[in-house]
Amino acid sequence: MVYRFFLRHQWKEMTRSPFWQKNIVLNILLGILVGIMLLYLLVLGLFIDKILMELFPDKDPIMVFNGIIIYYFAFEFFIRFFMQSLPTLNIETYLHLPIKKSAIVHYVSSKSIFAIGNYLSWLVFFPFAFKVIAPAYSVATAWAWAVMMVLLIFSNNFLATYIKRQLANKPSIVGFFGLGLVAFILFDYFGVISLTALSSQVFGLILKNYLFLLPVFVILIFTYSLNCFFLKAKLYPDEIISKKKGKVDSLANIKYLKTLGLTGRFISLDLRLLWRHKRTRSIIFMAPLFLGYGLVFYPNQQLNNGYSFLIFVGIFMTGGMMMNYLNYCFSYESNYFDNILANYRDFEAYIKAKYILAVTVSTISYIITIPYVFFSTDILLINTMTWLYNLGFLSFVLYYFATFTKKRMDLSRGAAFNYQGLGATHWLSMLPAFLLPVLIYVPFNLLGYSRAGLLFIGAIGIAGLLFHKSMLSLVLKQFLKRKHVMAAGFRE
Amino acid sequence: MSWRPGLGNDELVSYGIVNYNKLQRSELRTWCKLHKVNYNYIIMIEIQNLTKVYGGETVLDISLLKINKGDGFGLVGNNGAGKTTLFRLILDLIRANSGTVLSNGKDVKTSNEWKYYTGSYLDQRFLIDFLTPEEYFEFLNGIYGLSKGDLEKFYLDFAGFFNDEILGKKKYIRDFSQGNRQKVGIAAALMAKPEVLILDEPFNGLDPSTQIRLKNLLNKLKSDKEITILVSSHDLKHVTEVCDRIAVLEKGAIIHDIKTSQGTLKELEGYFSVS
Repeated sequence: MVYRFFLRHQWKEMTRSPFWQKNIVLNILLGILVGIMLLYLLVLGLFIDKILMELFPDKDPIMVFNGIIIYYFAFEFFIRFFMQSLPTLNIETYLHLPIKKSAIVHYVSSKSIFAIGNYLSWLVFFPFAFKVIAPAYSVATAWAWAVMMVLLIFSNNFLATYIKRQLANKPSIVGFFGLGLVAFILFDYFGVISLTALSSQVFGLILKNYLFLLPVFVILIFTYSLNCFFLKAKLYPDEIISKKKGKVDSLANIKYLKTLGLTGRFISLDLRLLWRHKRTRSIIFMAPLFLGYGLVFYPNQQLNNGYSFLIFVGIFMTGGMMMNYLNYCFSYESNYFDNILANYRDFEAYIKAKYILAVTVSTISYIITIPYVFFSTDILLINTMTWLYNLGFLSFVLYYFATFTKKRMDLSRGAAFNYQGLGATHWLSMLPAFLLPVLIYVPFNLLGYSRAGLLFIGAIGIAGLLFHKSMLSLVLKQFLKRKHVMAAGFRE
Repeated sequence: MSWRPGLGNDELVSYGIVNYNKLQRSELRTWCKLHKVNYNYIIMIEIQNLTKVYGGETVLDISLLKINKGDGFGLVGNNGAGKTTLFRLILDLIRANSGTVLSNGKDVKTSNEWKYYTGSYLDQRFLIDFLTPEEYFEFLNGIYGLSKGDLEKFYLDFAGFFNDEILGKKKYIRDFSQGNRQKVGIAAALMAKPEVLILDEPFNGLDPSTQIRLKNLLNKLKSDKEITILVSSHDLKHVTEVCDRIAVLEKGAIIHDIKTSQGTLKELEGYFSVS
C-alpha cells in the first residue's frame, strides 16, 4: 500500500524536523498548554447544558444547542480558512515514480483529516450527546447525533480546504463572508431573520429519524470529491502550489529614512524584513493583544489598590512589541548574517538603527495606550513611567541579551506555535529586568510614597536615555564579541 | 614546477620595509614606485599556521599561503576539503582555532579595513532575499557609500551579465531561480569595484551562457586592473580558464600549488582521478 509509505514519510518529516528534536523542554511546556486547553473544552462540553439553561432558562437546551450549531460551523469554517494550512505533499518527489496519480490525489485530499482542528470540538459534542441527548431520547439517538456532528466537521474541513485552494490569493472574499456572518448574528439577535430556528429544525431531524444521517454522508462525499477533482485536474507542481503573484510593495521609498543616512538604510531594511515575512507580519497583527491588556486589568477595581501589578501591565503594554522585536532582531537576519559580517563596515550605525526602531515601536505602543487615561489619570502616569523605563533601560537589557541567540530562524513560517529561535535560558536571564521596576516601587509604596516610586522608575529610564551612547557602545562591543558564535548558529 | 613566490614579511624586510604591517596601502604603493618594485609582487593575502577544528576534527590546516596582488587564485578540492572554510576564515566569518589571516598586511580579525576593498559571494546566505534585486543593490550601494551615478553605471556595466533576467522584474530575490539569485550575488560582490574578489563555486547553477559571461568578466577584470581573485570550483576546466594559479585542497591541507599552464587541466584531472 502506497499510503503506508506516504504516512510513514510524513511522520518522519514531522518528527525529524529540527523543531521537535531540539526543544524538549518547550515541547513539554507546549504539551501542558495544549492539555489545559483540552481540559477547558471538556469542561465546557460537560457543563454546556447548565450554561445554556442559565442563558435561556425557558428553552430546551437541545433546541438551543442545535440552533447555535450552524453559527458554530460557519465560525469554524472561517477559522479553518485562516489558520489551517493546506495539506501538501512534496508531490515532486513522488510524481516521477511508478505511483498511480489517483493514489497521490486521494492521499493529499484526505490528509487534512489529521488536522487537530477536526478533533477539538469532539470534546464538546460527545459529552453533550451522552449527557443531555441520551437521557432525553436514547443512547442510539445520541450516537446518531454525535456521528452526524463528526461527519459535518469533516465536511466542513474538506469544504474549507477546497475553498482555500480556490481563493488562497483572495482572502478578502472570505473576509466578506465573515462580515456577512456577523450581520446574520445581529439579524438573528434582533429577530429579523432566524437562522437559529432553521438550524434547530434541521439538526433536530436526526433526533427523530436516523435516516437523516444519509444526506449528511452525501455532503461529506461531495466535499471530499470536490477536493479530489480539483487536485486531479491540477496535479502539476506549478499549478497545485498557489503561489502568490509577485507583488512588490513600495516600502523602500520612505523619504524620511533616506535623510538618516546609513542608519536610515538599516531601519528601512528592517522595516521591509518585518513586513515581508509571514511570521513577523503576524506579530504586527498580534499587537492589539498586547495593547488590549489594559482592558482586562483596568476595569478590575481591586487591583487598583496597589500599583505593583499595573506597573507590570504598563511594561508589557508599552514594551511588548519592542520586546518581540529586540529579542529576535539578530536571529531575524539569520538568513543573511554572513553578508552582514562580510559587508557591513559600520556596525555602530547597524546597532543604532535597531535601537531607534525599538524605541519607535515602544513609543507608538505608548501613544496607543494613552486613551486608558479614561480609567484613571494614574494609569497614564504609570504607563508614562514604564514607557520611559522601557526606552532607557529594558531596551538595552533586551538588546544586550539578544546577542546570545544563536538559533536559526526560518521567517517564512507563521508565528503561532512557532518557537524557533527561542531559548528558555534567554527568557530567564531577562526576568530581573521585568521585575526590577516592581522591586523599586514596592519599598516606596510601603513607606507611603507611591508616586515617588513611579517617578523613580521613570528617572531610571531618563538616565538610560541620557547615556544611550555609552549603552549602545556596550551592546556593540558585546555584538562584536558574539558575532562568530551567532553566525555559526545561524548557519546550521 | 617553477613558481614565483610572493613577498612575505621576511622578503620585505630584505627590501628595507621593516614595519610592513604598519604601512598603509597608499604608502606601500609609493614605496614600491620609489624602489622600482613591481607592486603586484606584494602579497595581498597571507595565511600563517591557520587551523580550524570542528568537533575534534581538523578541517583546515594551512601553515603558509601567500596570495599575490593580481593573482587569479583557484581553489579546487572535493566536497569537505575545506574550501568554504578557508574562504570564511579569510572573510572573518568564523573564528580560527589558531593562526592568522593577513589581508594587505592586516589581521582580518582585528582590522576592519579589508571590508573596504573585498567583495565576496559565498552562498545564498549572502543575499537579503526579501528585497527585490534593485532594492538590494541600492541598499549595498548605500552601505558602500557609493553615489546614485555609480549605481546607474553598475546597472549599465552588468546589463549583459544580467541578460534582462534580473532587473525590472518586480519580484523579490527569494522568488528568483537559483541561477538568477547567483547572478545577483556575484554582481553584488563586484559592485564596489573590489581589489579582492572571493567567490565560492560561482559557476554552480549558472546556465552555460552565463558561465561563459562570468569567465569573460573575471578575465577582463584581471587584465583591466590589479584585482586579486579567489575562486573555488568543482569544475576543473572553468577554474583553469580563469585562474593563473591553482591550489588543490585535500582534507584541509594544500597538497598542490601550481601555476596554470597548457598541461594544468590534465595534471589536475590526474590528481582527482579515481583509480
